[in-house]
Amino acid sequence: MNVSSEAGKSNGKGRLEGTHLLVRAGEYACALPLSSVRRVVRALTVHPLPGASAELEGLAEFGGEPMPVLNLGRLVHAPAGPNPTYPVTVVVWVGPVEAREMLGLSCDSALEVVHVPAGSVVAGDGGFLLGEAPVAGEVVRVLNLEALGRSG
Amino acid sequence: MSVPQARGFLLLRRGGNLWGIANAAVDGLGRQGVDYRITIGGGGGDLRADEILGVVEELRVWPLAPVVSRFWPEPAAGLAVHGHEPVVMVDPGRLPAALSAEVATEGSGEGDRDDE
Repeated sequence: MNVSSEAGKSNGKGRLEGTHLLVRAGEYACALPLSSVRRVVRALTVHPLPGASAELEGLAEFGGEPMPVLNLGRLVHAPAGPNPTYPVTVVVWVGPVEAREMLGLSCDSALEVVHVPAGSVVAGDGGFLLGEAPVAGEVVRVLNLEALGRSG
Repeated sequence: MSVPQARGFLLLRRGGNLWGIANAAVDGLGRQGVDYRITIGGGGGDLRADEILGVVEELRVWPLAPVVSRFWPEPAAGLAVHGHEPVVMVDPGRLPAALSAEVATEGSGEGDRDDE
């Protein structure tokens, strides 16, 4: 996985540390906090749940545990891209640290690790969509995975 | 969570999914047409299954994550894994519509003949 030019910029102490994993979901690029990302794997076999809303693709097994898999593109209301097969599952932790849960996010691709300065994030809803930030010439959706795991 | 502490879980398949229910909650099991009918004790109602996989003695049950409840309105007692496949644990006190015998009866037509 590459580190972007943003991530490689010097802050006087050397290279800036990557803070987010950039993934493609439909026509959107989304930044997931690196500390919440457990693994990126080829799309897992998902068993759809009858009556579930479109965001929830279903359940999969990962590491011997049951894991819900959400469609990231639908979560962020992204228009479908040219190849909407969602061949990648990003396994993440969601919810508060003391009660975190494992979750799969189906995406088109995992792009690179980038540095997203907190001060560059603007215009979010304060919840799952923390805001938007410019990264390497593109506006990306910066996501708050802790909010996704909260009940209600 | 209302999964009883008694050991043993009945595993069944319906609509391609794997479901489990505490064996202690099951009162009866029989064929009905092409389906299986599982009677839940205490007047809990009946379930329908396409296939009965059998009873497993041990099953680790994880609580249903809030993120699942947010996008899936059905009641469940938790989640488990059997043979690398996720299992939805049925709450005997709140049966999911996907397993409901009533829903199946309304839509199943001639195949619904009771063979018992």
